[in-house]
This record gives sequence, structure tokens and C-alpha cells, in this order.
Amino acid sequence: MATTAEGFDIHHDHGHDAHDHADHKPGFFARWFMSTNHKDIGTMYLIFAIIAGIVGGAISGIMRVELAEPGIQYLQWWAQFMGGGNDLNTALHMWNVFITAHGLIMVFFMVMPAMIGGFGNWFVPLMIGAPDMAFPRMNNVSFWLTVAGFFSLLFSLFVPGGTGPGAGTGWTVYAPLSTSGSKGPAVDFAIFSLHLAGAGSILGATNFITTIFNMRAPGMTLHKMPLFVWSVLVTAFLLLLALPVLAAAITMLLTDRNFGTTFFDPAGGGDPVLYQHLFWFFGHPEVYIMILPGFGMISQIVATFSRKPVFGYLGMAYAMVAIGVVGFIVWAHHMYTVGLDVNTKMYFTAATMVIAVPTGVKIFSWIATMWGGSLQFKSPMVWSLGFIFLFTVGGVTGVVLANGGIDDNLHDTYYVVAHFHYVLSMGAVFSMFAGFYYWFPKMSGRMHSELLSHLHFWTFFVGVNVIFFPQHFLGMNGMPRRYPDYAEAFHFWHQISTYGYYIMAGSMVFFFVNILYALAAGKKAEANPWGEGATTLEWTLPSPPPYHQFETLPVITDAHDYHDHRPATA
Amino acid sequence: MAGKANHDYHILEPDIWPLAGSISALTFTSGLVLHMHPDVFGDAAGIVMWAGLAGLIATFFMWFKNIVVEAQRGDHTPVVQLHLRYGMILFIASEVMFFVGWFWSFFDFALFPTALEYDAATGATTSLFGTEGAKAAFIPEGLHVLDPFALPLLNTLILLCSGTTVTWAHHALIHGDRDGLKQGLWATIALGVLFSAIQAYEYSSAPFGFGGNTYASAFYMATGFHGFHVLIGTIFLAVCLFRAYKGHFTPRQHFGFEAAAWYWHFVDVVWLFLFVAIYVWGGWGAEYH
Amino acid sequence: MGQRDTRMKKAILAAVAAGLAAFAPLSVVAEAAAPAAPVAAEAPAATTAAAPADAAAPAAAPAAAAPAADAASAYTPMAPTKGKGMPTDPTSGEPGAMLKSMHFQDQYSANGEYALWMHDMILLPVITAISLLVLGLLLYVVVRFNRRRNPVASKTTHNTLIEVVWTIVPVIILVIIAVPSITLLARQYETPPADAVTIKATGYQWYWGYSYPDHGDFEVVSNMLDEAAALKAGEPHQLAVDKRMVVPAGVPLRIQTTASDVIHAFAVPSLWFKMDAVPGRLNEKLLTIKEPGVYYGQCSELCGARHGYMPIVVEALPPAEFAAWVKAQGGSMPGEEAAAPAAAAAAPAAAPAAAS
Ligand code: HEA
Ligand code: HEA
Ligand code: CUA
Ligand SMILES: [Cu+2]
Repeated sequence: MATTAEGFDIHHDHGHDAHDHADHKPGFFARWFMSTNHKDIGTMYLIFAIIAGIVGGAISGIMRVELAEPGIQYLQWWAQFMGGGNDLNTALHMWNVFITAHGLIMVFFMVMPAMIGGFGNWFVPLMIGAPDMAFPRMNNVSFWLTVAGFFSLLFSLFVPGGTGPGAGTGWTVYAPLSTSGSKGPAVDFAIFSLHLAGAGSILGATNFITTIFNMRAPGMTLHKMPLFVWSVLVTAFLLLLALPVLAAAITMLLTDRNFGTTFFDPAGGGDPVLYQHLFWFFGHPEVYIMILPGFGMISQIVATFSRKPVFGYLGMAYAMVAIGVVGFIVWAHHMYTVGLDVNTKMYFTAATMVIAVPTGVKIFSWIATMWGGSLQFKSPMVWSLGFIFLFTVGGVTGVVLANGGIDDNLHDTYYVVAHFHYVLSMGAVFSMFAGFYYWFPKMSGRMHSELLSHLHFWTFFVGVNVIFFPQHFLGMNGMPRRYPDYAEAFHFWHQISTYGYYIMAGSMVFFFVNILYALAAGKKAEANPWGEGATTLEWTLPSPPPYHQFETLPVITDAHDYHDHRPATA
Repeated sequence: MAGKANHDYHILEPDIWPLAGSISALTFTSGLVLHMHPDVFGDAAGIVMWAGLAGLIATFFMWFKNIVVEAQRGDHTPVVQLHLRYGMILFIASEVMFFVGWFWSFFDFALFPTALEYDAATGATTSLFGTEGAKAAFIPEGLHVLDPFALPLLNTLILLCSGTTVTWAHHALIHGDRDGLKQGLWATIALGVLFSAIQAYEYSSAPFGFGGNTYASAFYMATGFHGFHVLIGTIFLAVCLFRAYKGHFTPRQHFGFEAAAWYWHFVDVVWLFLFVAIYVWGGWGAEYH
Repeated sequence: MGQRDTRMKKAILAAVAAGLAAFAPLSVVAEAAAPAAPVAAEAPAATTAAAPADAAAPAAAPAAAAPAADAASAYTPMAPTKGKGMPTDPTSGEPGAMLKSMHFQDQYSANGEYALWMHDMILLPVITAISLLVLGLLLYVVVRFNRRRNPVASKTTHNTLIEVVWTIVPVIILVIIAVPSITLLARQYETPPADAVTIKATGYQWYWGYSYPDHGDFEVVSNMLDEAAALKAGEPHQLAVDKRMVVPAGVPLRIQTTASDVIHAFAVPSLWFKMDAVPGRLNEKLLTIKEPGVYYGQCSELCGARHGYMPIVVEALPPAEFAAWVKAQGGSMPGEEAAAPAAAAAAPAAAPAAAS
């Protein structure tokens, strides 16, 4: 960990923060609808992410239940429920609407708001010893634009989108299915949803970079920053540079749809594959946007519960930088089958595999952090252990897919679905739950139940593995993705996968009960419930922290450069 | 409401405009969708779009007004000014990536033209992409492009000129020469308006429309978004001029002006790329209008 | 405190056991596949073994009414062979079906065999080993360095040697993967010989059209059979079609794909073949099918409502029968008048063993 007890000599007076005007809060409406407070905005992001997670998770439940049996079970019903016709095409269209909504909601409205908006907002200022974000008002508009984007996506569900209501293009919105292939306003609403959420994220990224570069407490050099702050910094750069390209791409979709341009229409000389290049130039950095803050959280947690500073701090920080940089030059590994020429494919194969190296550095450094440590298995720690293993499983299947010649078989099959749910629904989501249990006492001032969070972990662990491990088999056996119906041969593993969903769904009950229990009857949390391993600045503040913290900036004094010159064992 | 803050950061009061702006943005984009689908929503639905746009403009106005008030009040300590600097640089960086999107498609079309003998009705593709060599040219037979060395060249000179006038204004400001500041700004704004006028004239007399072929689409998209940025930049400078008359800006603190100037230079540089890549190189060999 | 930790430890051990169990079948598959995976380059091309057309169960619908004069050229769709060219049903009760359903379909092209070999002999063992290594290390630290056994944490934060090792070793592993990977790509991109048989697959919403430019440019329109019709024909539902893409076996094929409306993808898992059908583009790739058979595939790019309802069936026939089929479709063999059918079979068959 960047910030150890010895590293920080904090000259600052708790009493002052806790009892002065610092805790005076505005009235309800002003506090929650006009907020300029990073912790309140962070809280709203987290609540929003939980709601979106419930919606996205429920949609995936609809999907899993439909997929439990071959044939079309419930889609017809859904088609009528959403105001569509009674024919098979509308029913099948509903499938595409569901996967699109599920993908977009999980990516843009669950993971990103939770990790960057929620945990980033809450803890970046606290960890660097800043009173708030650099642009508090802009912080709020980032949040409300995300909400606006969510509403635009919801609107899309209730208007015509081609063969039925809703946008059925997949989260990738490939042209020409999304242009000439989907008449009606639904896809336009979906596109604007991305514009709005994207604008919010770009503003958020600007805010984080400025905050991190400019508002570090005296003595908090870049190389002493906690790794979570590093991870948000790198993520913010990825957002800043990747999202505008997506904005350009989807703007071209809009004009192709509505103003007669032919960017992606071969009849006018356009090129559908161009859209894919633009999308994935954004899309691949996007997947690292979804995992890097998770890496950051895991670093904090592993160090805390090993009572040991992070092993190879600088390597950890620069591994993330490397992942971010290389992440921009591997995008076409999503396009191996579009007809790239052989040299292009070889290049992208090689470049993609390179990312395994800095990622491996992170995995092994986490393990080395634990090595020789004094491990305590509180809930954030077990989620982190789960993360490290399951993310590795998801990562290595990514390396299989990275081989252009192998991907010829696996592309657009359930193997890919399995890969990305291992890194997302297990990687990203496990790190979110780890972070949630780690910081919940700090944010709420209440202790959650360790028993319930352990139960949550074990049942969730079993559930998601039962959902997604068999999907590797399905993919290798030939099951294509984005199919509501399939041959009998795929029945068995699909059914198992759906059973896994039930386990997972049951497991979420522990999560919600735990939150309710903690808020209603949880023990009061101390400033630092995790003991001497928790050394970052947020643990020096009361739980919850005062409305305005660090009115006198903490000073980080450090006699020697802790990370580089310390003897190997001290 | 902050207690005794012993730091120079700017802790803001709660503010309604972020929420108002987001609602306006959602109203505007939704209104656009309604407007684009009169068959589904009826012709009148477009009014939503105008309501949203009005809300957005009001938000921008109030938001920036608040910033100016805070600046005048002295909330912008040196460290807060540094924030603003970072913010502006990062914003421009994201804008650069936005233009990368347009240039990417332009070069894709120009360097790898696709088959034009594609028959959408039957799907028949007679000229092969990537195999037999695409016969199709980027610029369709008979399409006349704008002569880069006529009005576009003039526009290039106008923008370059405006880059110097804005620098003139900046130097005047730094040296306490208020008149020079105003004159420089007036000149820059005038050149900006002139540029937009010429661009509008070019568009209205261009022999091709937005749709139909990729050259036209890429051309209008890139130059159009640039034009939009010129407009924003001009308004930004006009606000600075207005503030100059109100006596704002000191030789030491005038970030609002600097941000406008940076933005203007950014718009200028983008134009140079547009001019060289799209007007000169892109239209090379085609017949001029 | 201590008690909780023991409980924790036990629970984690149990999880590991579960994790190992999950991986076990995979490694079994890897071993089982090993002897069966020849290095592609050596694979013989010609095939005599496979069932001739007449051995096929005379199951399905009669061939399209074609202007064929010769009764001998009448074409009956070949009956599929169970487990060949189609996904494996784990519940079929056949020995090994469960394991087989967890793995790739058997491959019937040389590139497919090479790719499968690479996956089974290199990728799968490597990723299994890495996952198990990480799991093992995690378990070790959990057991060895928990608070009870190791109450005082060390303060080690650096060890240059180990950091270099865990950077370099993955690099080496990746280089080892890259070599066959690049080889595979190079093979997949070999240019088809001039006499390769050209077949153009066009994706439509939502069916396939196969045209034969070398054989008089007729087009076969291929629609999915509904479930009842498929089962009646003895074929897997969701995969069976009314008219198949018929090709000669053992002969280099130049497969071209394009689309008329949105992007589709022409994919046949048992041939390790997948190529997007993009409107306005003509993609092209070499394919040589090793032996006659029926190979099922499915559209593999989201193309709208019936994306799941436009399967692909490739029927590879011995060249002579292919020629007969062409004639039955009203086409002609290259270099021949349509009216002179006698020697038709010979032409493509002459392209011999070199298939790769
Ligand atoms: C959090 C999100 C996330 C992350 C982190 C990753 C990480 C990686 N992904 Fe993944 N990916 C997705 C999300 C993600 N992916 C999504 C959403 C899609 C599908 C999109 C769609 O089509 O809808 C996708 C699809 C996808 C494809 C396209 C598949 C296809 O459509 O055909 C490919 C191909 O190369 C790929 C590769 C990789 C690789 C090589 C990594 C690497 O970064 C992994 C690196 C990690 C490890 C390798 C493990 C740890 C390392 C060690 C223990 C060291 C030793 C290891 C070795 C020597 C191998 N991914
Ligand atoms: C982060 C991304 C994410 C997550 C978490 C998930 C979670 C799940 N996904 Fe999803 N999925 C995608 C991203 C994600 N997915 C994408 C991008 C696609 C591709 C879409 C396309 O093809 O276009 C896809 C496609 C996809 C398919 C393939 C559909 C098809 O191709 O036809 C399936 C099928 O089973 C599936 C199932 C599930 C299931 C059962 C879960 C379950 O794990 C869900 C359980 C729910 C949760 C794990 C969320 C719980 C979280 C909270 C409640 C919030 C907590 C908040 C805090 C702690 C702050 N998903
Ligand atoms: Cu055609 Cu999917
Ligand atoms: Cu990727």
C-alpha cells in the first residue's frame, strides 16, 4: 500500500472536523438534488448502480429462464407485455432487446457508476486528503447525465425498433443492423442514451484527473498515492480518450439513420466495418475501464487484510498504466472474422497477448502481498481472493480468444460470453462487492454482518460459476451467442447454467438483507474497523466522515522514499 | 456553509443547474428523436426538442454566469485557477479525440474506397473490395468538389489571422492595455463571424448535399462539427468581450479569457488539418466546382 | 477469532476442491484429444472411407425438381452421421458424449485439425496450469499465512528477482503460444489455387443463398426446416435446412461471403470456419473439407429477429456425385457444355491430394 502508517504522519485534528460547522448539512432537496458534495454524489451513484444492477440482473434472469429450454417459452408474452405484436418475429426481436438492454445497463449503468462514480467519488478525495472534488458542480451533472442516459434507454423499450418495440441491436450497435436494419425511434433513444451517459463520464473523467493531479494533500506525491487512486487516474484517462470516439461513431449512426448519410451504408460507398473499428477503439479500453478500479480496490483490500504494504507498489501502478496504454492498440481482436488481412490479424494477435504480462504482474503481486502476511478473512478479503482466482480464469480464456486463428471458431459463441462474464460478472462484480463490504462501514457508519456477507460470498461464488463455467462448453460445442433458441444438443448445459442463476439470485438476498440489517440495526462502526492494516487516509476520519472533511489539510511527512529504498525485510 | 476551511479549494454551495441541465439534455435528445420520427409521434412533437434546447441554453448561461460571479468574488484562488486550466486542457483533449472519429472515417473512405457497384436491391456486388481491387473511386464520377484554393484558402487565412488577433488581445490584457484587449477581441470575433459566413455561403452553394456518398458525408460531418466549434468559440470570445467592457480580467487573473483563446487556437488547428486533409488532399484530382 | 479462521480455512479448502473438480474434466479432455490430433500438414486429403450417397438413409424430402435427364444423377440429401459435423448432445447416452459435449466438435479440415491440436496441446494445458497455479498459490497463502499461523506480518515489499521472473516467464509462454498461432493464421490465409471451386454464400434476412459461379452461376436458396420437418428428416432441429450448400469433398474450395441487408456470418464449427458476410464486401477464404459428410453451422453475427433461425448445412460429396448434383441443379461443370455431362465428375476430382 502506498500509504502506510509510518508513511503518513498526519498533523490534523479530528475533533475539529467532527464538531465544527463541517457537519452542517443542507436540507433534503438541496442535499440530494442539488448536491455538490462528493460523498453524497458517491452515495447516489451507488444507489443508482444497485438499482441498475437489479434491473440488469432481472433481465438476465428473464434471459436465463428463456434459455433453460430449447424453443421459445416466454418471449411472446414479453412481446405483448411491451406492446408488440403476437407473431414470432416480434417475440424473437424481444430477445435482442433484452440482451441489448442487459449489456448496456450492466456496462454503462451498473459497473461504471458503481466503480468510478460511486467508489471513485467517495474515496479518491478521502484517500488523497482533499476536501472534495475539483469541480463539485460538474460532479453532480455527471451523475444526473448518467441518470438521464438510463431514462433514454428505458424510453427506447416502449417505442418501435424494427421488428418490435425496443432496440435489438446488441450492446455493440453494429451497423447496418442499427441503421437500415432497425427502423423506428427505439435505436435513436438508445444512441442518445450513450451520448448522455458518455458526456457524463467524460466530465467525470476530467474531474477525477484534475482532482488527482491538483488536490493531493501536501506530501502526497504521485508515487505515494494509494493504488485505488492510481487505478481511477488511469481509468479516467481511458474514459477521456475513448468515449469521444464512441460519441463520433454513434453520431454517424444517427445521421445514417435520419439524415441520409452513408458512412456505414455500402450503397453510398460506406463501410459497415468502419463502425466496428470505431466502436472497438472505444470498446476495448472500455473493458479495462470496467476492471481497473476493481484492481485498485483489490490492492487496498489485500494489503489491509494481510497487514502488509502492497508488494511491488511501483510495478502495480505502472502495470495499470501499461494496461491502459496497450489497451488502445488491440481493438481489432473483436473483429477477427470480418475479413481482416493476415498481417493485421497477426499484429492484433500478438498485441493482445502482450496485455497478459502486466496483468500477470498484478496477479502475482497480490499473491506476493499476501505472502508472509498475517491474513484475516473478513468479507472484503474473501471477495478479493475470489476475484483473483476468477479473474485469472476469465483472463486466460481471453488469451485463448486473442489467437486470431482460434477465435475463428470461438467468435460469437458462448465461449466469449463465458470469457467476459468471468472478467465482468465475476471480476468486476466481485471487486465491487469486495469494495462495498470494505467501505460500507466507512460510508454508513454501521457494521454489516460478517456472517451474511460470507454467506453471500459462498453462494454467489457457486452460483456464478455454475452459470458461466458450462458456457465454455456450450461455446466450444458450437452454441452461437445472441440466440433465444437452440438445438437439443445444447439443452443440458443451458439448463445447468440456468440453475446457477437461481443459486446466484438466492444469494443476492443475503446482500440486500445485509444492507437493510446494517442500516437498521448494525453496530456502530469505528473510524477504522479493520485494524492496523488499513492505513489509507479515509480510516483516519470518523465513520461516516464529516460532511466536509479535511478542512485543515493533512500533511504527509515522509523521511525517506518509502517504496524504493526500504530494505527487503524490515 | 463550510466551517473554517483552512485551504484554498473552492467548496461550492448546492446548485440546481446540474439537475436542470441534465433534464434539459434528456428533453432535448428525446425531442430530437420525436422530431426525427414524425411518422410515429406526429409533427408537433418536435416542440419538445425546442423546450430542451431552451433549457440547455438557460443552463449554460446560468452556469457560466455563476462561474463568472464566483471568479469576481475571488473564489478562484491560484489553485482553483489551476483546476480550471487542467479542466480546459482535458476538455480539449477529449474534443481532439472526437475529431479523430471524423478523420478516421474520412481516411478510411479516402484510402480504402468500397465497391460502388453494389446493388442494394439484390445484394449483388460486382466490384470487389479487397480482392480484385476496388474500382470505385472515393469521389464519385462527375462530382465536383470545392476548390480548396478559393474560399477555403481564404478561410484558412482568416482563421490564422484570428489566431494572431486573439494573441494581440492577450498581450494587451497582460500589459494592462484595455483598449487593445477590446480591439483584439473585436477583430477576432469579426474574423470568426466572417469565417462562419463564408462557410455558410460555401455550404449553400456546394454542388453536393450531406447524404448520398461518403465523400459528401465525411466532408460535411467534419467541417460541420468544426463550424459548430467556431460558433461556440465565437460566443465564448464574445462573452469575454462583454466581460472586458464590464471591467473583468486583470493582467494577472483572466483565465476565462485564456480558456477562450485556447479553445480558439484548438479550433484553428483543427481547421488546418481539415484544410490540408479534406480540402486539398481529399479533393486532389477531382474536378473543382 | 481463531475458530473462525479454521472454519474459514475449511470452507476455502472445500471451494478449492470444487474448483479442482470443475477443472478435472477439462484436463481429461486435453489428454484424450492428444493422440487423436495429427499435425495438420501431414494429414492426407483424399478419402475413400466415408459413406457414399446411397448408403445414406433415404430420409428427407426429394431433391428439387431439376431438369436432369439422367435418372442416375438424381440427388438424395445425405443423412447426417451422428456426432459428425454437429454439436454433441451430452444426454444422448453414447459413451463419452458428456465429455465430448464439453469440447470442440471433431474437425474435418486440415486447418481445423491444426487449430484443435493447438488448442488442446498448447492453449488448454497452459491456461489450466496457470489457473491452477494461481489457485494453488492462493490456497497456500491462505493456509500458511493466516493470522493464526503467522501473527506477525513481514514487511517485504520488493524482490527484484521474483518480479523479473514473473514478467519474463509469461512473456516466454506467450511467445510459445504465438508461434503456432501465427502458423495457423498463415495457413488459413493461403490463397486458393486457380482451379478451386468457388461458392458464394450470401446472407439475407433471414436465410442463406449459395451461388456457384463456376457452374453456371445458379443459386440455391436455403431456409431452415421447422422442428417437425427436421425431426422427420432425421436431422437436428434448429440446424436442418431445406436446401443445402453442396460441395465436393477433398477439393480446395474458394468460399466467398457477402450479404444483401445487414451483416451475417457464415460459420461451420466442425470445419473451423467462420467468416462474416458483410454487405458491400466480398470476403474470401480457402476451405478444403477432408471427407464427405453433412456439416452443420449457424449464422454467427446478430442480424435481427431471426438471427437464430438461419442455419447452414454444408454437404460434402465425392466429386463425381457433386458433379451429378450440379447437373441436377441445371448447372454445368467448368470447361464443359451443359449438354455433355459424361465426363463431368472428372474435373474437380482431378485436383488431388495437395489439399490442406
Ligand atoms: C472487464 C472486462 C474484460 C477484461 C479485463 C478482458 C480481458 C481480456 N480479454 Fe476480453 N472481452 C470482454 C471483457 C473483458 N476482457 C468483453 C465484454 C468481450 C466481448 C464483447 C462483445 O463482443 O460483446 C470480450 C471479448 C474478448 C475478445 C473477442 C472475442 C470474440 O468476440 O471473438 C478477445 C480476443 O482477443 C478478448 C481477449 C481478452 C484478453 C487477452 C484479455 C486480457 O486482458 C486478460 C489478461 C489476464 C490474464 C491472462 C490472467 C492473469 C495473468 C497471469 C496469471 C499471467 C500469466 C498468463 C499468461 C502467460 C497467459 N476478449
Ligand atoms: C458488467 C457486465 C455484466 C454483468 C454483471 C452480467 C451479468 C450476467 N449476465 Fe450478462 N452480458 C453482458 C454483461 C454483463 N452481464 C454483456 C455486455 C452481454 C452481451 C450483450 C450483447 O450480446 O449485446 C451479456 C450477455 C449475456 C448473455 C448472453 C445472451 C446472448 O448472447 O444471447 C447471458 C446468457 O446467459 C448473460 C447472463 C448474465 C447473467 C445470468 C448475469 C448474472 O451474473 C447477473 C447477476 C447480477 C449481478 C451480478 C449484479 C448484481 C449487482 C448489483 C445488484 C449491484 C451491486 C452494486 C454495488 C455493490 C454498488 N449475459
Ligand atoms: Cu444472419 Cu445472424
Ligand atoms: Cu477487447
